[in-house]
Amino acid sequence: MTLLATEAPANGRGRGAIEFALLMPAILRAGALLLFAAIFIVFAIQSPLFLAPGNLLSIVSQSSILAVLAFGLTVVVIVGGDNALAGGIDLSLAATMGLAAAVYATIVQLGQPEMVALGAALAAGLGIGALNAFSVVVLGMLPLLATLAGMTIATGLEQLISKNATILVDSALTRFLGGTDAQGFPVLAYALLVIAGLLGLGTRYTPLGLNMQAVGGNPLAARASGLGVSRYVAGSYLVSGLFGALGGLLSVSFLGASSKGAGEMLLPIIAATFLGVVFSRRFVPTIAGTLAASLFIGMLTNGFQLLNVSSYWVSGIQGVLTLLVVAATTTRPRA
Amino acid sequence: MTFRGVSLSSSKAMAAARFGRVSRFGLVIAVVVAFVFFALLAPGFIQPANLRSILVNNFALLAIAAVATTIAVHSGGIDLSVATAIDFASLAFVAAIVAGADVPVAFLAALAAAAGAGLFNAFLIAGLGITPFLATLGTLFIGHSVQQLATNGGNPIYISFTSVPPALPALARGGVLGVPIPVLVVLALGLAVHVLLKRSRFGRRSAAIGVQPQLALYSGLPVRSTVAVIYVLTATIAGVAGIFLSANVNAYMPFSGNAFLMNAIGAAYIGTTVSRTRTPNVPGTLAGVLFLAIVANGLLLIGWDFYWQQLGSGGAIFLCLALSYGIQRLRS
Repeated sequence: MTLLATEAPANGRGRGAIEFALLMPAILRAGALLLFAAIFIVFAIQSPLFLAPGNLLSIVSQSSILAVLAFGLTVVVIVGGDNALAGGIDLSLAATMGLAAAVYATIVQLGQPEMVALGAALAAGLGIGALNAFSVVVLGMLPLLATLAGMTIATGLEQLISKNATILVDSALTRFLGGTDAQGFPVLAYALLVIAGLLGLGTRYTPLGLNMQAVGGNPLAARASGLGVSRYVAGSYLVSGLFGALGGLLSVSFLGASSKGAGEMLLPIIAATFLGVVFSRRFVPTIAGTLAASLFIGMLTNGFQLLNVSSYWVSGIQGVLTLLVVAATTTRPRA
Repeated sequence: MTFRGVSLSSSKAMAAARFGRVSRFGLVIAVVVAFVFFALLAPGFIQPANLRSILVNNFALLAIAAVATTIAVHSGGIDLSVATAIDFASLAFVAAIVAGADVPVAFLAALAAAAGAGLFNAFLIAGLGITPFLATLGTLFIGHSVQQLATNGGNPIYISFTSVPPALPALARGGVLGVPIPVLVVLALGLAVHVLLKRSRFGRRSAAIGVQPQLALYSGLPVRSTVAVIYVLTATIAGVAGIFLSANVNAYMPFSGNAFLMNAIGAAYIGTTVSRTRTPNVPGTLAGVLFLAIVANGLLLIGWDFYWQQLGSGGAIFLCLALSYGIQRLRS
């Protein structure tokens, strides 16, 4: 299908079109940033509460869950390539988050030590990740199909464990993660910054990170230069599963409970990852871009609440924005 | 990833071909094994009333959605918004009936609503060049918002008991010569789509696009218009499932199409195993749906509770996919 897109610039008649095509990325990036800034300003003018430090911090901590989950998908897309059908995709992330949250909450409620609950939650995430990795790498399933199956199984397990009910949690870990430091700065925001910093630097400046990008950019070339492509792909799904579990822990801490309906996070996760490409010069998914897009989506949701815009609009607007960005960035000239 | 057109090295080709012939019957064997398993273990499974219930309640609607999905998958794409098409059709159908329209008018309104979702996909995929996955995902979520706005957050719309047109229960539960209408519709749609994909020029174009889109374009095939038709057709046929869904419960339940999504896609891919070239095909899809329907009904009858059934069905799809892809791996 990408061919329809790659043909577009070539069909654009004459030099003017080509020059325009070369300028497109810069125009797009600037346009997207302007749009984001404009929305921010509109919210700030329309709602006096929006710019209150408390509100801004709450946006950050609320976005931390989305961002951590979207980091998982970003890693999968970096390693698997951004062709969504044949490339890397992980549809099971939101369900994994729900499963990990339910596992953690249930075990804490049974009176087991927190470390057991934490270990079990992370193991649940890694388990789903391992299942996805097995399906994709060993069985050769399309990632879309493999992770769709992983999603069904994770959702099934979550409902089995939680009986589709909300489980309240009050543990030292969730109190700490859901709390604030002495200055009133939410711990979730710190957690987000630390995770984003480590992962961002890791994918961008370490040999491992560069190899990941090489595998995603051109698997055949990567294999020819001696990289174990399957190992990187399998690893990316494990990382994604782990981040799904981390997201689950953050969400339990933020809400003080495991919540049903985790599947609704799926679109924001995909939206954050694919919206984030607009922040990178080559229009590829990056950790920094995903972070920015997650904060933007968090801001959008929060601003709508403050402006009393019905939350029913949110998923539609996320869908439209994602489609806009994807449409704009797929008509890019390929180098 | 190697999906279709796996090249076999000539030395292994013979053995692989023999193995491949056996593996093509894997799905049929799975259906038979599941049937015998539940016939032995589940009380009442083999009763005619239950077999009819499998076909009407477990098989028919999913089969329509899966046949629709097969069209998109056949062209190398995917349609995640079959769920949206089902819901839109259901909404339009019920809204029209509630507004006092006759059943045929409501039927057309429903198909038009579903086709609208398909047109939007066609615009995104053929017009803007967005990958089918992201395009239909976007449609799925825009559809979610539209339904939330239309129903004030997801309240069902009921057709009041007194105003149910007599044609509605007949549509859902009637039959011709003892064959339930939904099953007849599956057979008719299945046959039509099968002929379209395997015997028409359109089908050959769609297959060419599915295997090698670049080549199809350079060979002068009308790629864009073919792709556009594929997505409109997929959504419109999926809409038929939405109509039967409404007729079954005399209501529109928001977001109920999502329940079909995973199984429809799963069945379409499982169905590729019965084809020698592993092309998506209608008979295979229907066999896949039959397998899922038998498992869902059987698990219910042997007394698994709702949550275990969900997990069991998910596990069954996964196992089926794992086996079929595993066998393909061994062959190549």
